[in-house]
Amino acid sequence: MTAARTVSLTGVTKRYRGTPALDSVDLAFGPGITGLLGPNGAGKTTFLRIVATVLAPDAGEVRLLGRIPDTPDRLAEVRRRLGYLPQEMGFPRGFTAFGFVDYMAVLKEWTARAPRHDEVRRVLSLVDLGDLTTKRISALSGGQRRRVALAQALLGEPELLLLDEPTTGVDPEQRVTLRQVLSRAGERSTVLLSTHQTEDVAALCDRVVVLDAGRVRFDGPVVDLVATAAGRVWLADAPDRAARASWRTGSGRHRNVGEAAPSGAELAEPTLEDAYLLLLGDRARTTAVAA
Amino acid sequence: MTTWHADEALLADYVSGDADPLLGASLEQHLTHCAECRARIAVHVGTAPLEAVWARIQDHAEAGRPAVLERLLVRLGASPPDALLVAKAPSLRASWLFGLATTVAFAGFGAAWGGTHGLALFLLVAPLVPVAGVAFAYGPDVDPAYETGLAAPYPEARLLLLRSAAVLVTSLPLTLLAGQLVPNLSWTAVSWLLPALAFTAVVLAASTWARPVYVAVVLGVGWVVAVGAASWARDPAAVLAPALLVTYVVLGAVAVLVLCLRIRRFDRLGSSS
Repeated sequence: MTAARTVSLTGVTKRYRGTPALDSVDLAFGPGITGLLGPNGAGKTTFLRIVATVLAPDAGEVRLLGRIPDTPDRLAEVRRRLGYLPQEMGFPRGFTAFGFVDYMAVLKEWTARAPRHDEVRRVLSLVDLGDLTTKRISALSGGQRRRVALAQALLGEPELLLLDEPTTGVDPEQRVTLRQVLSRAGERSTVLLSTHQTEDVAALCDRVVVLDAGRVRFDGPVVDLVATAAGRVWLADAPDRAARASWRTGSGRHRNVGEAAPSGAELAEPTLEDAYLLLLGDRARTTAVAA
Repeated sequence: MTTWHADEALLADYVSGDADPLLGASLEQHLTHCAECRARIAVHVGTAPLEAVWARIQDHAEAGRPAVLERLLVRLGASPPDALLVAKAPSLRASWLFGLATTVAFAGFGAAWGGTHGLALFLLVAPLVPVAGVAFAYGPDVDPAYETGLAAPYPEARLLLLRSAAVLVTSLPLTLLAGQLVPNLSWTAVSWLLPALAFTAVVLAASTWARPVYVAVVLGVGWVVAVGAASWARDPAAVLAPALLVTYVVLGAVAVLVLCLRIRRFDRLGSSS
């Protein structure tokens, strides 16, 4: 099965001023969409930057698309087959949507003008920006800019697609469009999707990795993570102070995510968000006990 | 009103250019006032030429005409993709070049009519013009899409060097021209090139470790202090004393050597870190 692995990290560690952002992480990915969840500072962005070859780990081995990118030639070979959307992406001044994606296409070695422009049109249409190609990026909304950024990552149908919060600022209708694009990409490519949107992970991913403080807290099918919350989510008429999380829903009842059933509560179907909250809640409790 | 209509063979021959010239001219006249024949001839006209024209219009609207600098670079022998990437350097934008021309002209006129202080101003500005241009040509501090570009296969070192070369080609002639305003066309009018080139090489070499803008700022502050100190002693040209010129040459040579030895580091895993 090793041959099917597009991404393989072994003992990867990255520290910033002594603080570990990633702590001896072992992970491997093959074709399909994997969601990366975790609180802020968990190491998701560091992980994606290392896989995107823009950040070197302090220790450990990174194998991408069957090779260790330790020479300029191997690095370029990997980068030819990689699409990357960083978490915070800026745009140089004066570019139109078409001009920027065209510029990125040149950096991705699309040298012939006509096929390059066809490809630029294709990816802009994929993200539903076909009518805004000539508009300056500075005049686009935040969600539209994010879609321009995503378009450049899709250039050339990369085998490895790394997306750091691709749906930030995107409206619900466009988010559904982007899900369709990403699910199609996941049929042929390895897609790693870092996000805070558990609903995106639930809708798109068959596997989820939860990172926390630079370590892997969970790695497995989304349904397995959701199953960890079975019997721990309740609907009650009142909030439960002992619960990990409790909020009033639109129906007027309170959703309590925790261990014990509040009085008069009834079990509810758990979601990925519930399971995620419980997983991190267990971490907090473990830390408190250890302290 | 005519009752005659062209037959299918004539319409097809006309479209393909095979019709007899006289018949073709006659048909052309006829088509101007016969809607029926105009409708029938449309089926003989292939869509490929129209589609090709439309594609060109669309491409022109979306991609636009290459910028002046881009076209100039192509004329000078750069490949169109290289020219596109080089022309997008922040320090090659029209606004930067306008600012550069204004600053250099101001410094040149200062040197011509400002006496010792004017000469000091010129010496302060001239060597730092290419340094600033190179520092602002490429890197995480000047390119908001730097990280995204880093994950692309285009060699980072090649982009840096191409842009640096373009910056030198645009900034040095302007500054040399302004240098002609230095009174009596002294050696000072051109000897500033040595620190300018040495500092530029230092920025490029040091950018294999550190951010180019930071290095340029450190060099700039050092140069300002040096020129300031020389001006205080009423001899700003002292920064171009023969012994110092040798130092600049040595510094530049060492920087070029370091750059040659370390340039491949740009194209290694995680060069942004």
